[in-house]
Amino acid sequence: MTKEFEPKIVAFVCTYCTYAGADLAGTSRLKYAPNVRIVKLPCTGRISPMFILKALQKGADGVLISGCHPGDCHFTSGNLHARRRWTVFRSLLNFVGIPDERIWVSWISAAEGNKFAEIINEMTEKLKTLGPFEPYKTLIRDIESPAEI
Amino acid sequence: MGNTLEEHIKRTRQLLECGEVAMVIGYERGSVENRRRATFVKEVSELERMVLDGLCCENLANYLVREELLRSFDGKKVAIFLTTAGVRSVNILAAEGQINPDCVIILGFEAEKPGELDSAIKMLDGEHVDHYADSIQQLKSRGFVNDRAQVIVKLEMMSAEERFAFWREQFSRCVKCYACRQVCPMCYCRRCIVDCNQPQWINASAHDLGNLEWNLVRAFHLAGRCVGCGNCERACPAGIPLMLLNQRMAQEVLKEFNHFAGESSTQLPVLADFKKDDPETFIL
Repeated sequence: MTKEFEPKIVAFVCTYCTYAGADLAGTSRLKYAPNVRIVKLPCTGRISPMFILKALQKGADGVLISGCHPGDCHFTSGNLHARRRWTVFRSLLNFVGIPDERIWVSWISAAEGNKFAEIINEMTEKLKTLGPFEPYKTLIRDIESPAEI
Repeated sequence: MGNTLEEHIKRTRQLLECGEVAMVIGYERGSVENRRRATFVKEVSELERMVLDGLCCENLANYLVREELLRSFDGKKVAIFLTTAGVRSVNILAAEGQINPDCVIILGFEAEKPGELDSAIKMLDGEHVDHYADSIQQLKSRGFVNDRAQVIVKLEMMSAEERFAFWREQFSRCVKCYACRQVCPMCYCRRCIVDCNQPQWINASAHDLGNLEWNLVRAFHLAGRCVGCGNCERACPAGIPLMLLNQRMAQEVLKEFNHFAGESSTQLPVLADFKKDDPETFIL
């Protein structure tokens, strides 16, 4: 019996909005896919592109970045910096062949527990149809497996 | 301030003689006939080794942030031969707090056919970055209409897998010599991200994964800061088309944020700034 492919999603979220929203999804007992690993940061402004690269390097099939809506940032403007940063970085990743469909960005507030659950479910479904991120996985395998003579 | 080569050379002599500049940075003949390299002239007698022709392509602004050189400026100004791209570099370095633009005397020039020995050289007017504001605006309004733009369009028509395969193949030749970093005026970090190992974000080894990560991150760190001088691509011993990445990023910031690197010495870096109505088409 072959196991269905379970995508690994890493979600980089801000403490004051999306993490609280995820918490709300939990306390409301909403069902959402267990494929997500959540990394809590104080603000989306803190999320460095290096984190995304690290997630991909360690075998993530998809990455979610989520924070407060513009205008509602706990630190006033962190998400506004993040918005510019992700516009640029996402287009660079896409240009190099790391497709848009694997890098998701959203604004989820502390009250939007439903939205969090929905996005995780949607992302998991989409990644199941896309399959594992093979091109990157071959890169990782090539350097981690012993050399063959 | 003149617009013939003779007048530029006369000016450098004048500046050195009166002690206003500590050195003149220009070009001299390289190790073989078709190469030119940077030269650093401190005495009038050394001026005779300076040349200026179509083979003088290197963006010399790089040397304005080399710390070993800065120490020998000795509080005086420095005169430097620059194309308009080089002037934009000076603007960005000033905006990022790395140099004082009032201490740089620009000897502006443009080659009609860069890379060709018999190219005509046009001297530009203006010794201070502010004098180039109009010509830089003209460059901005022209946008990116060149051969590279065509290649970029072709790449974007491929599928993501095809693009990944293309870039993986290109980066497989990278040997991590970091020549691209060394010749870039914008790469002045004392401790580069690739040198950080606690934690290590980028694999420093020259294998496909590390090569992809390095080139990707460098392109990102140059987004909105690259002036397209081509130093990196010329310096790369593996012939990687780095300018495709850099130009794609320059096109992106121009389209999304109307940002053109090096417009003025007080322009805010594109990723250090934001607007309430920045585009966010892809955000859920």
